[in-house]
Amino acid sequence: MGQQHLATEPGGEPVTVALVEDHQVVVDGVRSWFGPTPGPVALVAQGPTIEAVQGVTADVLLLDLNLNGTMVIDRVSELCQGGQRVIVFSEHEEPETVRAVLDAGASAFIGKGRATRESCLETIMEVAADRPTVTPPMAQAIATDERPHRPQLSDKEREALLFWFQSMSKASVAARMGIKERTVRQYIDRARVKYAAAGRPAPTKEKLLVCAIQDGLIQPDEVTIYTSLAARTPQEPR
Amino acid sequence: MTEEIEQVAQRYARYTALGAAVITAVWHLGYNLTVTLTGWQSFRLPWLNLAAWLAYAVVFAVALRPLARDSRGPSRIRELAVAALALDVAVIAALPPHELLGINDWAWGAVGWLGVMLVWGRPGWRGELIAFLAGNAAIMLAAMAATGILDRVAVSKYLVVIVGGITMQFGYTWGCHLLRARAEDAVVLARRLAADDALRESAQRIHTDRLRRYAAIRDVAEELLQQLADGADPGDPRVRDDCTAGAMRLRRLITEREDVPDELVSALRERIEAAERRKVMVTVPPFGEFLPSLPDGVREDLLRAPVRALDGARTRARVTVSAMSTMVSVAVVADNDDLPISHTPVREPSGVVVTYQRQGGEVWVNSIWQRSPVASR
Repeated sequence: MGQQHLATEPGGEPVTVALVEDHQVVVDGVRSWFGPTPGPVALVAQGPTIEAVQGVTADVLLLDLNLNGTMVIDRVSELCQGGQRVIVFSEHEEPETVRAVLDAGASAFIGKGRATRESCLETIMEVAADRPTVTPPMAQAIATDERPHRPQLSDKEREALLFWFQSMSKASVAARMGIKERTVRQYIDRARVKYAAAGRPAPTKEKLLVCAIQDGLIQPDEVTIYTSLAARTPQEPR
Repeated sequence: MTEEIEQVAQRYARYTALGAAVITAVWHLGYNLTVTLTGWQSFRLPWLNLAAWLAYAVVFAVALRPLARDSRGPSRIRELAVAALALDVAVIAALPPHELLGINDWAWGAVGWLGVMLVWGRPGWRGELIAFLAGNAAIMLAAMAATGILDRVAVSKYLVVIVGGITMQFGYTWGCHLLRARAEDAVVLARRLAADDALRESAQRIHTDRLRRYAAIRDVAEELLQQLADGADPGDPRVRDDCTAGAMRLRRLITEREDVPDELVSALRERIEAAERRKVMVTVPPFGEFLPSLPDGVREDLLRAPVRALDGARTRARVTVSAMSTMVSVAVVADNDDLPISHTPVREPSGVVVTYQRQGGEVWVNSIWQRSPVASR
């Protein structure tokens, strides 16, 4: 865990990424985003199916949800159970889909619609370090969750998430809410951590929670409260 | 169409119920009153007979009210049924024994119509009416036994009147029930057909709309490919922007899933397409499946300011809709330089709050509706 935390430190090894994507044009695009090696992120494996990259050790698995016409939402849980950090990379940004993959243990969801090189790299680095990261589709999905076992977000946290989804930047959210940008980040990150704690258990979520406590974002007793909430969540039949 | 069928079904229910009342009233005034007055001398206790006639009229009046109002019998019928059978006994008692089953013995054939009115439209009408008519038949049989009139002629007479009365009374009730049931079935069927029609029409509209948009995108793609074939530079930012915009529109079409578009979504889509026709690059994350129903005027207030921002976008815009059961938020971020903005939130009478913000060459217009102040806390 500690080693992973060091992965993004200056001078550290690049974050390794395996990509599951069935469109060559996207593979090429991602490869170009990762840039000339050595960069902060290195693509170590790539294939059109999950099986094609299985057995490869990578810090992060970047997963397209629609592979050859089949949605692989139900495979996310099995991937995360092994402790693999999974980032879903898809155009299916509907809140319902985003919530389904986050519940299954995915660390993040990047919407293909408006992903940029910078935002994509930032998300990968944060996830590799087990730090909370919230992309706009995730902000929308978490803020509008009305299911019975949803985490209890504060009004400010929900507001920050919604504004982050709907505005142009965290700076504009800060201006809108009349607070510092750092506080906006804190609200959003706390909401993400609460969300991870309230969902079904997965090793990837545990790593995120441990790091959130290490970073002082939440107190250990807060996690206890939310995991007890999670315990009431019925397990989905496999 | 559905409305007409519903009206017909309602009329069936109403007029068959009133029909039962009319038959009872005509019978009571035409036959019962005539024999009560013309046969006055034949009665052993004519005043008791008159009292029974009046009691019949009272039970009739009590049963008529709910029948006229709701096309169904009274909610409590036990006491009324007992009163009806009691007046049957009273008429038998008022007659001399040799008049039993005679022309002046009006009540035992007539109370059955009161029974029809009492059980009208009740869920257990079959059992109740059978019990009532059986009680009436048993009373007469008991009277015949008590007075010793059980000869073949008397029994035949008894059977004729009983079978005739029950056939008419039960038959009318049964027939009307069938008529009402069929009319209600017709209503259910008509509603289902209307819903199917609406769904088909809507699906057809969506399909046509999507075909139209596919065709539009195909034209754009064809033009772009032609330009590239003619030597357009793929490195040219303008060409790249055009390609990206085309890909975005195509992607949005692929991810659209709703069968019946929400009115707010439809209105927004129209403006998004208009912006795209002006070569504005519009990004629109999927709207999700759930949008709550909005009170009057809210949709217009939610859309007005964001749509203005979108309409004036120069080269790019991002349109987002967030919704929960108690909240809908519509936002547009666009490079609209001319949009006049308010530095304080604008509160519309419908409860929609609109906020504006300018930053880094972009304007962010966000309108939010919340169901109640409690929900927005």
